[in-house]
Amino acid sequence: MSPEPTPLGRPASARAREFRRILAEMLKIDRVRGGLVVAADGLVITASLPRGIAVEPLAALTATLGRELEVGADRLKRTAFHTALFSSDDGTVFLGSSPVGFVVVLGDREVNVGLVQWALRKALATLEGTWGAPVPAGPEDL
Amino acid sequence: MLAASFSGVAAPLGDVGGGFTSEGDSRHVGLLRLLSRIWDAITSFTRPPNAATLFRRANLYRQEGRFEEAAELVSQGLRLAPNNGVGHLLSAYLHLAFRQIGPAKSEFQAVLDLDPYHPRALLGLAKIALEERDIAQCRPFLDKALQYYPDFPEARALQEMVASWSMTPAAQGQRQVYAGPPILVEKLKPPAGGREFVLTQADGTLVFSQQGDKDAEDLAGHVTQVYRIASATLQRAGLGAFRRGIIQAVTETTFFRSNDKLILALSFPQDVKVGFGLLETDKLWTNSLRELGIRA
Repeated sequence: MSPEPTPLGRPASARAREFRRILAEMLKIDRVRGGLVVAADGLVITASLPRGIAVEPLAALTATLGRELEVGADRLKRTAFHTALFSSDDGTVFLGSSPVGFVVVLGDREVNVGLVQWALRKALATLEGTWGAPVPAGPEDL
Repeated sequence: MLAASFSGVAAPLGDVGGGFTSEGDSRHVGLLRLLSRIWDAITSFTRPPNAATLFRRANLYRQEGRFEEAAELVSQGLRLAPNNGVGHLLSAYLHLAFRQIGPAKSEFQAVLDLDPYHPRALLGLAKIALEERDIAQCRPFLDKALQYYPDFPEARALQEMVASWSMTPAAQGQRQVYAGPPILVEKLKPPAGGREFVLTQADGTLVFSQQGDKDAEDLAGHVTQVYRIASATLQRAGLGAFRRGIIQAVTETTFFRSNDKLILALSFPQDVKVGFGLLETDKLWTNSLRELGIRA
């Protein structure tokens, strides 16, 4: 598994670079096995997953999960979810909500849950800043 | 000799059409092509882009998470080519990215009006049906997408997930009723600060709720749906069966506990200590299993 998220083979804008940087930071945490940033429509913006885990199916499921958390909260007149985690005997899936979509982190059974949650909240705050920031034009915009 | 030098110089610039007889000619053509490309690049600044160019750029922006700019380009493109399927598909995606479900649905439908078997439009409508908990509507979209494109991983993952689900929600009054042993309510009292306590079976049957009927059904529906999708996600990530969950929102934190049959959800105010929430959820879980006669 590469610690650097997959670049998906296209020129990077400042925002795209920021998404990759955020994910790379999450991947530095001990016992984190992978992660992705996925839009609400299931589009993979950046990803780095262990070998053997296909990105598209996981992205489709995590986007569906994120949307259920958003829509369900709305339906129950609850406030919007910010972060969530789901654990099994073998590991944990962490999910964070942002305007761009969802940040997903996979940890193994010994991952430090508190540390990942803290890092995820930090990443989401950065992402919100990046989302709101003006986007400088790059050569690929011409 | 001439052939060798021709292929070495002109081939990288593409097919030149043949008929040249000297190295000088081929160099001349190469220079002309270079000048032509420079001219194209210069005029592209002043020439209005066509719809295809706008959609291509929009897709690049979208892939970088630059949804606002992508949306602007897509609407420009659709003004130039109102019946372009790619444009409508991009428009649908962008509406979804902005969580605008009604317009996204219309745009996916516009794609299907042009191509009734478009797999991405079918997947899009399946996802929307899933959000609306309309499983009966969702399945045919996935089946149709996979009928013509069996190697479609996203559609396959969702189809496998919904395959075992019952066709919930049933009409009110027709919902599946819990038929297990009677529950002593006083033994399932949530702790101080705990609220919206609900127990459901994995098939969506409401077992017990702290709340009234309608609210309880809505809550049980949500809890079941979260359990099902989270279970599929954990399995897909190679991590095994769902056991615990914590959802942190602005005003509350909800704790989940589950085995493969039963799901418990309990909410606390947002400032609850996670350790306390986990401990109290575990206590309630143990009591619930005991009351229902299920082994831990």
